[in-house]
Amino acid sequence: MLNGVLFRRGMKGSVKLLLILAAVLAMYVVIIVSMYEPEMAQLLDSYVELMPELMAAVGMTGGATSLMGFLCSYLYGFILLIFPMLFCILRGNGLVAKYVDDSSMASLLSAPVRRSTIALTQGAVLVSGTLILSVYITALEWFSGEYYFPGQLELEQLLRVNAGLFCLHLCLGGICFLASCLFSETKYSLGVGAGLPILMYVFQMMANMGGKAETAKYFTVFTLFQPEELAAGESGAVAGALVLLALGLVLYGAAVAVFTRKDLHI
Amino acid sequence: MNVICVEHLTRDYGGGKGVFDANFQVSQGEVFGFLGPNGAGKTTTIRHLMGFLRAQQGRCTIAGLDCWKDRARIQAQLGYVPGEISFFDDMTGGDYLKFLERYRNLRGEHRKQELLDYFQMDPKGKIKKMSKGMKQKLGLVAALMHDPEILIFDEPTSGLDPLMQSRFVDLVAAEKKKGKTILLSSHMFEEVERTCDRIGIIRGGKMVAVDGVEQLRERHVRPYTVTLDSEELAAAFARDFHGTQDGCRVTVTTRHSLEEIFMNYYGGDGAC
Repeated sequence: MLNGVLFRRGMKGSVKLLLILAAVLAMYVVIIVSMYEPEMAQLLDSYVELMPELMAAVGMTGGATSLMGFLCSYLYGFILLIFPMLFCILRGNGLVAKYVDDSSMASLLSAPVRRSTIALTQGAVLVSGTLILSVYITALEWFSGEYYFPGQLELEQLLRVNAGLFCLHLCLGGICFLASCLFSETKYSLGVGAGLPILMYVFQMMANMGGKAETAKYFTVFTLFQPEELAAGESGAVAGALVLLALGLVLYGAAVAVFTRKDLHI
Repeated sequence: MNVICVEHLTRDYGGGKGVFDANFQVSQGEVFGFLGPNGAGKTTTIRHLMGFLRAQQGRCTIAGLDCWKDRARIQAQLGYVPGEISFFDDMTGGDYLKFLERYRNLRGEHRKQELLDYFQMDPKGKIKKMSKGMKQKLGLVAALMHDPEILIFDEPTSGLDPLMQSRFVDLVAAEKKKGKTILLSSHMFEEVERTCDRIGIIRGGKMVAVDGVEQLRERHVRPYTVTLDSEELAAAFARDFHGTQDGCRVTVTTRHSLEEIFMNYYGGDGAC
């Protein structure tokens, strides 16, 4: 089902990007966690009062009463959505469409390895990267939380929220991977694979600002990820995460099926 | 026994481009030259054989297996050198061959070192920085190192210097001796004439002729015998025009260019 040699090559190709993202995330997450103290939180909340719409667009609502709520407001609306999404876009395109575009896919196919194996392996590389990022984010939050404010984070809540985050990125990665398998040229693969998730994020920002624009929430998968409700264990939010998980699996499955059947001009 | 079969293969790209109702067979132990000008449909046909493209009509088989459905199984005994070679640019040549060994799951002895020596190739250095000829050699080593029974070469000598071209011709002859079945595409009559048993000519996506190389040669190689005034002159003439001398008489041959061969098959209708 999977080709170990190809998987290792794919993971090697992800390392550099993962390290860069890890460094950026470490900076942001630690800084935001350390800001959860009355004085700083008040400062942040005053920004929210000053520019309520702009702050709401990126999910920052202020007035959080717990560390988890504070993180949901200041991390899960922008930083933890955008950076793993960047990984999905870049790697999703690089794992299939790039090889087809520059014809090097021919060397992978002129060997007794099935197309479905190649596609599944490349998909597994993308999912693994997403999983690594989710686990890394969880560890970062937990350890910096324990360092600055021991005992204030509930591990169970954190795990629930980040499981939801993983489902969201599985779904976004599925979109990127399907685009990568569907299109034989990187310009289209990147155009759709990056364009669609970014467009959906813009819809999410519009929906966050409220008013008439709130209908935009029906056109974006980001709506299905509700960190605060997940932390509280609301069943609606859990269902939303499960829908994301199912969507992700369907998208990856469709990508493999498409790649197995398509004509390759390589 | 026919190893490679192309039956009524059709793929219409529109605007007269593509392959239309192509038929030919390559039997066990035969070297088949697939001759045609650029854009004639050679590479498209080969992509069908490799299972990259699904036939719109007709079908291709290799060793009795369907080229689309059984493509992965066929690849176990197939070696392929693509027309436009593209490898993973970030790797060195050596890394690439090592990757392929493990990816193909090749165990024990195989021909990598022998082939590298044969083509005087040093696979160190990034693929990105390699010349076209170097990449071509690397492609040949990659296609042959698992010692496949069937070989498909798409314009294999482009970019090779004359010495390496003749090494390649020798290699094809040696592989043929071992009973390998070989399909070699080219746009140069001289190249296929030197290596192949039979030649199929394709133009505008249609097979124009499939003929033995001897018959083609008879038809398209013309000998002229000229008589000169003295033997010295004859010797000089023979040297300058690559003829064979017999006393004062020298026989020289001319080859038709590919275009003239096509003209011959199309009659006066060569433009279509």
